[in-house]
Amino acid sequence: MGRIIEEIYVWRLPVRFYHWINALCMVALFATGMYIAAPVLNPALGEAVWHKGMGWWRYLHFAFAFIFIANFLFRLYWALFGGDKYARFGGFRPWSAAWWGKPFREQVESYLFLRSDEPNYVGHNPVAALAHFIFIFCGSTFMIFSGLAMYGENNPGGFNSAWFGWLIPLFGGSYSLHFTHHLFAWIFPVYVIMHLYAVFRHDIVDRTSVTSSIITGYKHKVEEEPG
Amino acid sequence: MQSNQTFADLFRSRGVSRRDFLKFCSLTAVYLGLSPSLAPSIVEAMENKPRTPVLWIHGLECTCCSESFIRSSHPTIENLLFNMISLDYDDVLSAAAGHQLEAVRKKIMKDYKGKYILAVEGNVSTRDDGVYCMVGGDSFLNILKETAADAAAIIAWGTCASFGCVQNAAPNPSGAAPVSDIIKDKPIVKVPGCPPISEVMTGVIAHFHTFGTLPELDRFGRPKAFYNTRIHDKCYRRAFFDAGMFVTSFDDEATRKGWCLYKMGCKGPTTYNSCSKIQWNGGTSFPIGSGHPCIGCSEPNFWDKGPFYGRLAEVPFLGSDSNADKIGMVAVGAAAVGAAAHAAVTAVQKAKSDKPGNDKA
Repeated sequence: MGRIIEEIYVWRLPVRFYHWINALCMVALFATGMYIAAPVLNPALGEAVWHKGMGWWRYLHFAFAFIFIANFLFRLYWALFGGDKYARFGGFRPWSAAWWGKPFREQVESYLFLRSDEPNYVGHNPVAALAHFIFIFCGSTFMIFSGLAMYGENNPGGFNSAWFGWLIPLFGGSYSLHFTHHLFAWIFPVYVIMHLYAVFRHDIVDRTSVTSSIITGYKHKVEEEPG
Repeated sequence: MQSNQTFADLFRSRGVSRRDFLKFCSLTAVYLGLSPSLAPSIVEAMENKPRTPVLWIHGLECTCCSESFIRSSHPTIENLLFNMISLDYDDVLSAAAGHQLEAVRKKIMKDYKGKYILAVEGNVSTRDDGVYCMVGGDSFLNILKETAADAAAIIAWGTCASFGCVQNAAPNPSGAAPVSDIIKDKPIVKVPGCPPISEVMTGVIAHFHTFGTLPELDRFGRPKAFYNTRIHDKCYRRAFFDAGMFVTSFDDEATRKGWCLYKMGCKGPTTYNSCSKIQWNGGTSFPIGSGHPCIGCSEPNFWDKGPFYGRLAEVPFLGSDSNADKIGMVAVGAAAVGAAAHAAVTAVQKAKSDKPGNDKA
């Protein structure tokens, strides 16, 4: 293993907090959501007044959902106004042809083993940025909007029903919206697998300590050793 | 036709006491979700306004809406409500038939131009110029367009006319379409349900008669008074849902104890209707009350939304056997296999490049 030649402070504390709160919420929301869809535990016979089974699972789902939303909004704020070079949206411009140009192509080629060298980025590489945009930004936005629309069904005419209820006719009814929300929940475990794999692989191939960087905040550059 | 008669006249001529008449008006106000102070408006309208002429036409349907309507809860009131709307044309219920009946429809359309209500039961066959539904020698498509042209408002009875029911379930061989797909320039109130509850049907007519306008509608065009909340929210078994006490088979102990039918595929949590409030047949019962899960019959396309007795619907576009969780697990499995394969190739490449002679990792 080569000598560490540089330490770079990449993930500042707010970004690390966001990451871990988001991870916790994603796991909790997926687990509670799946339980709500298929409640497997059944209490022994008795009076309903002694049990809160489903009520608690739903309560947890909603509680984690509001933490998730607040965390998501904070991350948007941080990206737009945080002045954090590695956490902003500035570099991500998929609407311009230039963004899909050389750097993106090189990164894709590297992932497809079409080139032997790994382009090295301190922050996110262009492919990672695109994945985060699709799974985390678009995915979370859809889950938040559809979730609030369904939450608003508890209180017709209330805030959530007024602001997000339009999704129900858009998806052709409450049932279809519930179903789509349930289906799209699966993008998160798919994302987690790809994310973990990519992080571990980059850590092994590039030796940048990317895995520990989300705890410590520091990435490392190591001296290339002649093999 | 005694079309200038008011309801009060009619009630008196039927020997209904003033007391019963006022009771009916208050009850209607309650059903409509109006404040008690508005009951006098209903009394006033019933006493002074001439009855609203209604033309009731039938397309592709099973007549369950009519069956429900004529079973409005209280026998006297049912009789009176039925007369209340001055039902001038209804090809199912009329004694007359044939040319004479069609002449009545044409006459009402001319005499009450822009003032009559068009009630539509059933949906419209649109394929091949609508030949799959012919009424009185013409296609129902043409009859609807012709009759709707001079109507003040349209009431779409039932899920057929509102959203398209079993007739336009996939693959929809006759091109059946709801009224709102055909008529775009008239106010339409949708009263879905298969059939809708009779008190809901009479309530909508009473509202139009009293205020001269359609009731307040939700995003789907349904009257908010009856379709604002889900069946789930007013269900008497809701306590068992919150407690997590579910029926898991139709002959278990939980069924006998009347627990929640959520796991039996109850669509109550996603269905907007008044079944759990007003109930059916004069408050006798409703499906969940009889131990059967709600099938969501007042929701758009409920036929195409998967099995009635399962919570997770099947996804129609990915084969008959897939559901959301299966697709999700396949996607997760594919991601895991992809990652493992990529890792293997990486390992092979790294092993190759780590051999002496290569200077790049």
